Amino acid sequence: MKPAPLTAREANLIGCRLCHLLIPLPQEQDHCPRCGARLHQRQPNSIARCWALLIAAMLFYLPANLLPITISSALGTRQSDTILSGVLYLLNSGSWAIALVIFVASLFVPLMKMVILVFLLVSVQLRSSWRPKDRTRLYRLTELVGRWSMVDIYVVTIMVALVRLGALANVEAGPGAAYFAAVVILTMFAAESFDPRLIWDRMEDRNE
Amino acid sequence: MSEELSRDTRMEQLPEAEIKPKKGFSIVWLIPLLALVIGGWLVFKAWSEKGPVVTITLKSAEGLEAGKTKVKYKDVDIGQVEEIALSDDISKVIVKLQMQDGAESFMTDRTRFWVVRARVAAGKISGLGTIFSGAYIGIDPVKDGKPTLEFVGLEEPPLVTTDTPGRLFGLKAEGLGSLDIGSPVYYREIEVGQVVQYGFDESGRAVDIKIFIQAPHDRQVTGNTRFWNASGIDMSLNATGIKVDTQSLISIMLGGIAFDDGPDPLAAEPAPENTAFPLYANKDETAKENYTSQNYFLIYFNQSVRGLSVGSPVEFRGIKLGEVIDIHAVVDDKTRVFRIPVTVAIKPERIHGFGSAAKSTGNDLRDYVDRGFRAVLRSGNLVTGQLFVDLDFFPDDPPRDLTFEGTFPVIPSRATEIREITESIAEIVKKFEKIPLDEIGEDLHRTIRATTATMNRIDRLAGQFDAETVPAMTEALDSLRSTLADLEAGLGSDSPVNFQLREALGDFSEMTRSLRGLTDYLERHPESLIFGKKGDQP
Repeated sequence: MKPAPLTAREANLIGCRLCHLLIPLPQEQDHCPRCGARLHQRQPNSIARCWALLIAAMLFYLPANLLPITISSALGTRQSDTILSGVLYLLNSGSWAIALVIFVASLFVPLMKMVILVFLLVSVQLRSSWRPKDRTRLYRLTELVGRWSMVDIYVVTIMVALVRLGALANVEAGPGAAYFAAVVILTMFAAESFDPRLIWDRMEDRNE
Repeated sequence: MSEELSRDTRMEQLPEAEIKPKKGFSIVWLIPLLALVIGGWLVFKAWSEKGPVVTITLKSAEGLEAGKTKVKYKDVDIGQVEEIALSDDISKVIVKLQMQDGAESFMTDRTRFWVVRARVAAGKISGLGTIFSGAYIGIDPVKDGKPTLEFVGLEEPPLVTTDTPGRLFGLKAEGLGSLDIGSPVYYREIEVGQVVQYGFDESGRAVDIKIFIQAPHDRQVTGNTRFWNASGIDMSLNATGIKVDTQSLISIMLGGIAFDDGPDPLAAEPAPENTAFPLYANKDETAKENYTSQNYFLIYFNQSVRGLSVGSPVEFRGIKLGEVIDIHAVVDDKTRVFRIPVTVAIKPERIHGFGSAAKSTGNDLRDYVDRGFRAVLRSGNLVTGQLFVDLDFFPDDPPRDLTFEGTFPVIPSRATEIREITESIAEIVKKFEKIPLDEIGEDLHRTIRATTATMNRIDRLAGQFDAETVPAMTEALDSLRSTLADLEAGLGSDSPVNFQLREALGDFSEMTRSLRGLTDYLERHPESLIFGKKGDQP
């Protein structure tokens, strides 16, 4: 096996997260001399912060899916829809492609994100050395795909702004929309606060 | 070089950074805590607002939708339809309602549910808003009663909900007339209530009507109050002219009931709820006595009933008690005896103390018959030969028993005596004798003389007309004719006016012609407008 390469931590160096300048480990927590960003060897408190945000997101996931996300009224008939009822409605009316998009973006992706983050956190905390490359890939995917869940919120906000015909037709955002937005934002922050280098730190420990 | 060296040494001299793991509670954990609080609060709210589940049975679920249709009281949502299903025998619809918290208190057996849709009934349009918003379930909550969660929905919304203050009263009428549920009740031409229910009474021979009078007008209903049917227009023609009696336009079309204070309004106490009143046919009837119950009796006559017809009066010593409602002939199969049963309807209330309808038919009547109570045919009008049934006591008549034909009691009859007829003829002759024929003749003579004088006067007036008016009129016609001749001379074909007019027209056509020449020239030489005509140049 090829020996593991020297890491910045081993060399007592610190890389700036923003401009990637390599700086010798400062005595105190300091700022990057080039771009002024704060310097951390690893994201401080990464795991705890990630867990906290993740648990909050999981708690909000329930009301986000159970409460109505839109309340539309047309000619006085009020109808409140949750995400799932919207998906079912689209599926029943034959537009399964749109139903699939909404299902993936609004139900599947947030759920998968949370599952992946839990898996990563648990594996890091157990100091697992199982397939670090794949786990890093999973993390990248989580970070990348996270923002797409906001599509739902954008659709709701645009509808609320556009469909304002008074008594004829009206769309209001339901309480579920706020919780759903909270889920998406919290998972994004959770993914952000997770430091993928923690996955590789285990490899270093093994080398020693 | 030295600089490099010193840098390396400096690098080696770098102290190790102390890594202090953060201890204690990180502020980031406040976020899931907050999420937990919000989630917990949502769960608590959903759980605490959940009220009882109520089942109502309806004939049809028209306009209802599970998960959407609301239950509203005073336009406030208090529940929602959860489930709509058919009953086991598929004859009805069972609707499950999820009520909100606090609804248990009025889920009693007196609470009523109904579906609010757009309706047109009794001149009122209701539920128009539901055309757009869809139907909803209305509720009339009543707090006192046995608690229950199973209800039978009403088909029509109740006219009077229990929160409307007022009182119910009963009315008894011979027929319903043009009244309907929702027909208005007027007091001094102001609508104060409405008809809420009607149906036959126990005997099936009269109609019971229930009306609701709103507070505070219900205090106007006293023991003396008289109700009458104010439907349509009541028109009567008599010596004083035409009299039209009506309430409002609505009551003309829909019918209605009116009431007034009746005699002695100040002394009367307000009537208790559900007091029954008679309903008179019109306002005039309220002044008369009115009877709502009647009894049927059979009378067999062994003589000719010629002159007796359906509607002939039945009298007791000159007081009208009722009338004949049926006459026909019957032959007995065995004895071959012909008899004529006459069915009469008698209103026993016309005799005060005669007792109410059902009671008097039994023992009382038997007692009367023992004392000689008989029916006799009497002549009411000698000229037309009309008969009437007279009821009276003939104590010397041979005793007879009261019998029953089916449920009808049979009043024994008595043959009319010839003496009675002769007596009445003698009476008539006496009346004829009293007529002062001499005086009448004298009067007639005087009248004829006066008429002749009047005719003479008219004749004279006509002569005057001939002598004075006709010549004057002839004169006027003559002068009119000469005026017309003058007029014709002034305007005739060879009159000066006509000549001048013709001349003026000639001038005018000449002028037009020269104007046309000018325009033609101008068209050809438009510059002449500025430079003048060519020939004019010097």
